[in-house]
Amino acid sequence: MKKILLACSSGMSTSLLVTKMEEYAHSIGDEAKIWAVGQDKAKKEMAEANVVLIGPQMSFLKGELQKEAEQYGTKVDVIDMMAYGMADGKKAYEQALSLIGD
Amino acid sequence: MMMGKLKLDELTGEQICFQLILHSGNARSKVIQSIRAYRAGSVQKAEELLHQAEADLQQAHDIHFQMIQKEAGGEKSEFSLLLLHAEDHLMSTLTMKELVSELLELFKEKNL
Repeated sequence: MKKILLACSSGMSTSLLVTKMEEYAHSIGDEAKIWAVGQDKAKKEMAEANVVLIGPQMSFLKGELQKEAEQYGTKVDVIDMMAYGMADGKKAYEQALSLIGD
Repeated sequence: MMMGKLKLDELTGEQICFQLILHSGNARSKVIQSIRAYRAGSVQKAEELLHQAEADLQQAHDIHFQMIQKEAGGEKSEFSLLLLHAEDHLMSTLTMKELVSELLELFKEKNL
């Protein structure tokens, strides 16, 4: 089971991306838990995740979040611009998988 | 294609919103990094980041302008909460950029 946390400033745009990523994961038979939160909750929820993807509007927080995530051995990265800009669930899911490293 | 001029016709309504949030979002991050660079003592870096933020906002503005033109031409955009949210992103980032740009000038004048 892959656990993917998405975070953006309010958790709204990434919520939509979650739906698309879930659809793709489901279509290839993957079991995944994907959820979105606003930036205030990201630090707390990352303990539950295998990987954290953040929206472009909070890319300035990447360093800070990555530092926090190190204690869980979790990687933090900004969602690929093409994947985000086209609301491309497949691409975002593949990015998450490559960060988890499997 | 992110760097080239986007044609709205090739995108869904949802993708248009994501494009607006993407470019506004990139700008927002750079505006904050700009003022942090100034705090860290690098005026040049701060100005460079603010210019980059302006370029990102220009991309968002281009999309927005096309949408307004389309509507003025009688073709209404489909309304959604996501579109409203994208507008919020764009407008709040524009405000932040204006304010940080003024602040940097003020700090420079006062030798802060």
